[in-house]
Amino acid sequence: MVQRGELVKRRGLDWLQALIDVRVFEQQLVELHEQGSAVLGAVHLCIGQEAVAVGVAGDLAPGDQITVSHRGHGLMLARGLDPERMYAEIFGRATGYCGGKGGSMHIACPELGVAGANGIVGGGIPMALGLARAASQRGTDNVGVAIFGDGAANTGNLYETMNLAAVWRAPLILVCENNGYTEFTPARDVTAGPGIYTRAAGFGIPGVVADGEDVVDVNLAMAAALRRARAGDGPTLIECRTTRWRGHHEGDERYAGVYREAPDTSGDPIDRLTHELDQLGLDGSGERAAAQTRARTRLRNARDAALAAPEPELETAFTGVFVG
Amino acid sequence: MTEVEPAVASTANRLCPAMADAIAQEMRADERVVIWGEDIRTGVMSTTRGLHAEFGDDRVVDTPISEAGFLGAALGAAMNGLRPIVDIMYTSFTYVAFDQLVNQIGRAQYMTGGQVSAPVTVIAAAGACGFAAQHSECSHPMLMNAGGLKVLFPSNSHQAFWLTRAALRSDDPVLVLYQPSLASARGEVGPHPLGIGDVQVESHGSDVSIFAIGLMAARARRAAKQLAAEGIGAEVVDVCTLAPLPIAALTDSLRRTGRAVVVDEARLSCSAASEISATLAEHAFDALKAPIVRVAVQNVPIPYAPSLESHVIPSEADIVDAVRRVAA
Repeated sequence: MVQRGELVKRRGLDWLQALIDVRVFEQQLVELHEQGSAVLGAVHLCIGQEAVAVGVAGDLAPGDQITVSHRGHGLMLARGLDPERMYAEIFGRATGYCGGKGGSMHIACPELGVAGANGIVGGGIPMALGLARAASQRGTDNVGVAIFGDGAANTGNLYETMNLAAVWRAPLILVCENNGYTEFTPARDVTAGPGIYTRAAGFGIPGVVADGEDVVDVNLAMAAALRRARAGDGPTLIECRTTRWRGHHEGDERYAGVYREAPDTSGDPIDRLTHELDQLGLDGSGERAAAQTRARTRLRNARDAALAAPEPELETAFTGVFVG
Repeated sequence: MTEVEPAVASTANRLCPAMADAIAQEMRADERVVIWGEDIRTGVMSTTRGLHAEFGDDRVVDTPISEAGFLGAALGAAMNGLRPIVDIMYTSFTYVAFDQLVNQIGRAQYMTGGQVSAPVTVIAAAGACGFAAQHSECSHPMLMNAGGLKVLFPSNSHQAFWLTRAALRSDDPVLVLYQPSLASARGEVGPHPLGIGDVQVESHGSDVSIFAIGLMAARARRAAKQLAAEGIGAEVVDVCTLAPLPIAALTDSLRRTGRAVVVDEARLSCSAASEISATLAEHAFDALKAPIVRVAVQNVPIPYAPSLESHVIPSEADIVDAVRRVAA
């Protein structure tokens, strides 16, 4: 068992930077939205949930493939995608990862291990199973990971996938990012049972719950699931409990107070890690300020470059449906 | 448009066994090819018979009845180095997995700006088979409209073998459909390859073109022989590639005859017959000597009783009648 303190000493500062990168990346989108910028389509932000992204991605190897939800910027950044090309995709520019054909909800970069994001809630879960199956059939020890929300946990895709993954002992990790809301509805109003993680028991696979506002706890749960998957022992379901600070998408402020309460930001994953670093004598507060400055500079440049990037050639709308 | 090279032709002499032979040949040649589906080890649908004995559990995989799950998994596997075939039994069953088939598999290439390809082949029976409406769908018009799927519909052993091979060698998602009552239809696999984009033309004259699909093509070939005996020369265009629609091959035939009957086992509204008719009118209106006639199923689900089922599906006599009207 890895000692938490040792882990934080070894990796805490990197994680702090990674958490802040995700936060700042998205804050710049909020800024654009507040300025009334027309460059944004539907954007679903994971502000407050950064620990899930950074904790899940922390121990993934090159060649591991993940599928993410519509709220996936954090995972993409944590996997190492280029912020400028992500912004460009969100702004519908030619230089975006998908040439402007995907947008925020569909950024993909299989080369860096992000097989796809999904506009369909739960749509990417079976895909991750296939990624896992192919990885083991090709004789690698790579894994597939599906990251999805509490809403997706109520789709049949999860149960079809858990069953088949258990039968196949597939190297698959199912990460449910339970942020308390399924779109515009409190998750508790539409979700039965004592916890989503308990649903794994019916398939004879481990189901664990992690504190989704604690990057260390998420990472430890993920590390255990990865060991199990790489050893050929099959899938794991991890429920990360976290808090969505923003609306379902930017622009739904008018519903604030209607379907959702003011978010409880007391579990801020950045505050918590900073505090822990301080306690360990690693000057979390000072490092946080420095990390914030680095992130702002780097990501402002990335955003501005993406805003200046060209629109896609109109002809591309009619190409690329098929390979041949 | 032929994409395949000549190869050792199959000795299979029935439609589905010809598909099974094409699959077996590809599986021998390429270990990335795997096949998943319900009851495929036993080969309930004769498209998979014999595969498990030769290729074993890792590559010939019986799935639970989880169409969305295994179709989605096929996409992931295709993205990660395998070339999966999914036998989904009936196109009717794609409806429970339409998101995975249309929205995921069919969009992967386009939405990722070409970063991802989805070499998934889906095999399914399409059309009436005595099992009532929930098994009898001819879903090819919906699939043609999906926008990211190629749709093939062989009606004989020759087409079945070569088009299945073409599908397996394609880097795109391709559906290979067959009419279940033709599954055991006898016929040789000839040496001349067919590829995606091809149609098969059988000419008995130049009075009228009959464009037909699947079982309707088999019936049209018989109707053409009957019409020839009456002195009406029909050219049967078996539209075994439905998407992308091979427009030039269709209009070429119309320009030879000037008259068109289009026969489809789908419901008339938005059928493949409708699409083919509109395409002919748009691209070769000047060649038309008479209005185009569509022969398809009225807008009802397929009934169970054999008497009712055969009443709603276009028959050889319906095709003959339509041709006589057009040729008059």
